Amino acid sequence: MGPNGAGKSTLFKLALGLIRPSTGTISVLGQKPWGNPGLHSSIGFCPDYESLPSESTGREYLSLVGGLHAMKGATLSARIVEVSHLVEMNRALDRKIGGYSKGMKQRMKIAGALLHDPDMLILDEPLSGTDPLVRREIIDLIKRLNKENGHDVVVSSHVLFEIERMTHDVVLIYKGRAVATGDISEIRDLIDKHPHNIIIEGENIGVLAKALLDEGSTVSVSYNDGRKGITVQVSRPDDFFNRLPDLIVQSGTSVTKMYSLDENLEAIFRYLVGR
Amino acid sequence: MDLERAFTGIIAITRHSFKKLVFSRKAVITLLIAVFVAVVMGYAGAQDVDPLPDGTDMLDTLILFFFMPVMAMIYGASLIRDEIDDKSITHVATAPLDRAFSYVGYYIPLASAVAVSMFVVTTAGFLAFFAQNDLGGEALEVYLEFTVLVTVGAFVYSALFLAVGVLFKKPMFFGLFYAFIWEGFIGSLPGAIQKFSVKYYLRSVGSGWVDYGRMSTFEEASDPLGSGLVLLGLLIVFVVLGAYLFRETELT
Repeated sequence: MGPNGAGKSTLFKLALGLIRPSTGTISVLGQKPWGNPGLHSSIGFCPDYESLPSESTGREYLSLVGGLHAMKGATLSARIVEVSHLVEMNRALDRKIGGYSKGMKQRMKIAGALLHDPDMLILDEPLSGTDPLVRREIIDLIKRLNKENGHDVVVSSHVLFEIERMTHDVVLIYKGRAVATGDISEIRDLIDKHPHNIIIEGENIGVLAKALLDEGSTVSVSYNDGRKGITVQVSRPDDFFNRLPDLIVQSGTSVTKMYSLDENLEAIFRYLVGR
Repeated sequence: MDLERAFTGIIAITRHSFKKLVFSRKAVITLLIAVFVAVVMGYAGAQDVDPLPDGTDMLDTLILFFFMPVMAMIYGASLIRDEIDDKSITHVATAPLDRAFSYVGYYIPLASAVAVSMFVVTTAGFLAFFAQNDLGGEALEVYLEFTVLVTVGAFVYSALFLAVGVLFKKPMFFGLFYAFIWEGFIGSLPGAIQKFSVKYYLRSVGSGWVDYGRMSTFEEASDPLGSGLVLLGLLIVFVVLGAYLFRETELT
């Protein structure tokens, strides 16, 4: 997990031998990845970018991937059917990939990564650009791949709550370095210990601002540009979020938008590395 | 590396790339060039000509030495480069297949597609010219000889431009320079300098076969067999160089 530009994709490229380490060494499943194509038998990779041949059908794409993994004939055909069922793409197998939705493309990429039944799956931002429904489906799929099919899955994301729904084991990366490793709840606790900045926008926001100032969890309240919104700094986010619905009702405020600046990983990481 | 495994991988890439080349917009370019050549040679054939030498010179100038390298450049320079740029190379780069073998999987369909394209263009030009004059045994012999020459040229130029596509991020600039300036100009200069072009060796090979036109009287020609071996050597050098570069390329 890490904000954009933290080095998640670079780490995966190093792990897959797509780029060479400029310093230090990297070992994956006990082997050096650069110049070692044999390692790819044990790894399935789903990149975060569009990599599918749009002019091919899903079946043709999977046949190509299978051929590259020395699979052929009836074994390959059966595996394509099996994997496409697993990712729920069996009905779209004979359609051109160019006509797939974003979610379908993500699932097809995962199918390509799964085809040769690797020990380890590397999924780079598998949820990016997908709508909430597809996101939930892919999260469920990833959990299934681990729990039911026994794959070790490494997933990258810059969205904290998405990762929380998949796993509790996280490594936080920031500017190319691992800044924290362990259980996600410990990181949550760390995050909760430092003041949160929450933006609230809506009608009659001034009354809500006054009410918030009387709350013990509120550190400060300031108006944003145009006085249409406020930035609330809170010391105990859980207490704040528990009280907020009542305060909104009591103040007669109509909230149109609310988001936490601290959900932005960049802010969290700045905090974790003490900047 | 298990050879059967490598062979299956090469077949998979070959099949995918050949389909991609043949059913791409580049196939339209082939058809347009074939129509252009047919129109030009058809017009020339309708004039007062000495069919065998003039027809041979037309095939020589228009097809073998102009469109041959241009076609190989259009197909070859972008084949791997486009996949690197749009990152669709990922499934090849993350396969348990040495990239040198993957490279061969790109080279075979490329050379085949260029050879097929040049065969279409040669046939169109030949029929447009000779159908109006003489479609006898001698003309068919010329057709057969040029078909073999464009096939040899397709394999050598494809090897060159595929390697160029891996070496340069903007291979078209080098490709244009090479096809038009180097092959077109340097390859036509008198003296030893022309020996630095592929065109010279193709022409030397042709001088041993073709009985009509300027090619048959190519005075500066090298020994046809030796020239054939030079072309084979160039092909091997270009393929090995391209495969090495592809292996060492970081895919960011």
